[in-house]
Amino acid sequence: MQASANADPKGESAPVAGILAEFDGPGALKKAAVQIRDAGFTRWDCYSPFPVHGIDPAMGVRPTILPWIILGMGLTGLTIATALQWWTNGVDYPFLISGKPLFGLPANIPIMFELTILLSAFGAFFGALILNDLPKFYRPIFSSKRFKKVTDNGFFIGIEASDPHYDSKKIQSLFRQMGPLSVEEFHDTDPQGALPKAFFRVGIILFLLGLIPLALALKSRHSTSSSPRWHFWRDMDFQPVAKAQRASAFFPDGRVIRPQVEGTFAREQADDNPHLNQGRVNGKFATTFPMKLSMEMLERGKDRFDTYCAPCHGKDGRGQGLVAKRASTLGEGTWVPPSNLVDPRIEKMPVGEIYQAIRYGVRNMPKYGPQIKVEDRWAIVAYIRALQRSQNGTIKDVPEADRGKLK
Amino acid sequence: MNHPSPEVVLNDDRHLGPLGPKILRIAGGLGIVLLILGLVLGITGSGGGMSRFLFAYTAGFAFILSIALGAMFFVLVNHLTRAGWCATTRRIAEITMGTMPFLAILFLPILISVLMGYGGLFSWADHEIASKDHLIHLKAGYLNPVFFTIRWVIYFAVWMQISRYYLGGSVRQDDSGDPEITSRMQKWSAASILLFALTLTFASFDLLMSLAPHWFSSIFGVYFFAGSVIAFQAFGILVLVLLQRKGKLKKSVSIEHFHDWGKLLFAFVFFWAYIAYSQFMLIWYGNIPEETGWFHTRITGSWGGVALILVFAHFVIPFAGLMSRHAKRNLASLSFWAMWMLIMHCIDIYWIVMPNQGGHGHGEAPGVHFQALDILAIVGLFSLFVAGAAYIGRHCSLVAVKEPRLAESLAFENA
Repeated sequence: MQASANADPKGESAPVAGILAEFDGPGALKKAAVQIRDAGFTRWDCYSPFPVHGIDPAMGVRPTILPWIILGMGLTGLTIATALQWWTNGVDYPFLISGKPLFGLPANIPIMFELTILLSAFGAFFGALILNDLPKFYRPIFSSKRFKKVTDNGFFIGIEASDPHYDSKKIQSLFRQMGPLSVEEFHDTDPQGALPKAFFRVGIILFLLGLIPLALALKSRHSTSSSPRWHFWRDMDFQPVAKAQRASAFFPDGRVIRPQVEGTFAREQADDNPHLNQGRVNGKFATTFPMKLSMEMLERGKDRFDTYCAPCHGKDGRGQGLVAKRASTLGEGTWVPPSNLVDPRIEKMPVGEIYQAIRYGVRNMPKYGPQIKVEDRWAIVAYIRALQRSQNGTIKDVPEADRGKLK
Repeated sequence: MNHPSPEVVLNDDRHLGPLGPKILRIAGGLGIVLLILGLVLGITGSGGGMSRFLFAYTAGFAFILSIALGAMFFVLVNHLTRAGWCATTRRIAEITMGTMPFLAILFLPILISVLMGYGGLFSWADHEIASKDHLIHLKAGYLNPVFFTIRWVIYFAVWMQISRYYLGGSVRQDDSGDPEITSRMQKWSAASILLFALTLTFASFDLLMSLAPHWFSSIFGVYFFAGSVIAFQAFGILVLVLLQRKGKLKKSVSIEHFHDWGKLLFAFVFFWAYIAYSQFMLIWYGNIPEETGWFHTRITGSWGGVALILVFAHFVIPFAGLMSRHAKRNLASLSFWAMWMLIMHCIDIYWIVMPNQGGHGHGEAPGVHFQALDILAIVGLFSLFVAGAAYIGRHCSLVAVKEPRLAESLAFENA
């Protein structure tokens, strides 16, 4: 037995873990690998400072199954992403965004793409680690001092003692026939060979520390608290905005609302057509419409009325909308019931005054000027007139030809 | 393992020889006949008339231009990265991009139609259409015949200079064996690829995007680039396979080289899909009328069928088909996919160009109305392109014999 001259004395006494042979360059390594392969060994490997072309067939290594693992992981990622988005956006919590379909393929492709890539990368990275039996902090072969050359200029073949064909003397003579630079046995100097204990201690401490936030979250889910909630994003919870009609130290005049710049006017302050814009003729409320009435305009008025007015005034205008009903059920003290739009008081009101009420609001009713366009306001006024007519009509209002149908 | 020495290449059958004049005669003759037939059909007004012929001609021109530009990218990027693997196959790309002067001549009909103020192809070129259309009017500072001409003179000057420099330098090295030529070409590749990127981007805007002058997409140049690289990788694989079938380059080009050409083709199949989708998704999401119009005509009606063909046959099917290394290392399957992608790229160009015809690039476009003169113009131009490549390559060696990285390329192995 040709023991390595510089093997440490402690290592000699340790159990033999295998045989290591060094060869002169990649060519010799490949030739030797072919012979070891043909001798039928299974638990052995080649070690070199750089990848050697053609070493896989020389060693008889079968093509890796890693591509199939990656493909499987990629398809899994694709499926998960598709299912996740279909379930969350399309089924469990449908939420319309920008008028796009609830489950529109184009919007979901980026997530499908990214998750496919992510899981493929996981499959490639962790699959390669597992297939290569990594990470491992200790292998018996590291106990050989000569083996340290493998990251520099050493080319080695190591056969492990666990190989079923392992026979120390036969292997050594087989290696010698190949003209190696050296042949030596290597020893398992650290049979436990596991991670240093410190790793476990640190790992357990980190794991326990990691449980603390989870425990806190669990606690707050199942208990009540009187203290205010935590503000993680203060700039979102406390925005530097001022409320109308409040004082502010920001501007020298102490007001939040800025006065109109001199020499300018807002678009709706234009008085080039007071009949249309203000509902006034010669300073008095207009009694006529500023435009020709049409069926189309009434249809539009109905549409706008049902959207903006009906929640309080009711679809029939009698002041029994959903909001009004709910408010009177709750018995809110401050609630002023909405007007009955079809009662004689409003029937006698000039159209300009109704227009003005829509535009600027009246009593508790807020102004709808900013939400409803000028033409639409007039359309609503026209529709209110139609409502009044429909509620207080007589048989004379029905065309003679249709009177028969009423009976 | 014994690595072959560069002498192997010297002894290889590496000249077109009598094949050159033969290709030149057949492809050149076929191209001229087909184009004349198409032109006659166009003049007599059957099948859509002159406007249709010019649209088909533009599609065909964009197709062959993209192959030449893809070749230019191949040469430049391999010099830029000092790649050794491709050294035995790079001459094919150099010869392909050497056709630039022919392409400049073939561009003349398009240029003349613009200079004549003909609105049947580029509606912005017609003064009457341009002055009535507010959006075109606003873009007139860029989209006008004079500036268009100036730009194309610049594009072709840059492309001809790059192809002359790289093809000429490489051929000179065949005699002198001076490695200094290679390092000079590497040094200039950085500036050249920058010019290449700019000219390709703006040329794609001018040739294809401005067919629909209301539409704009800043990623369009990248989209055209992705298609160009696919077109050239497919074209190059087919050329190499056919040359080897004729007994040429058998010792110089191995399955390892084909494998890598296949990898590039595969990579750009995905890159094309990535870019095409990026372009589509932003426009779909933004939903702005000027932007969606272009896609609306192309993803609804019969053009929508073509768009679906592109999604599946330009991306999904070849992506699955080319994924395996076995598909890339088998010349039969590799050349099948190369042929497939070349045809798909042609359909992609057809889908970009043809819906503009009849609608002045906006408004309601007619559906797919395939015409005989479409195929006459596209196949005719492709034949002339092949004839041009055969003319450029008829005397020079088909492999760079004194290339300093030849040994590296011959020893190249896919681990």
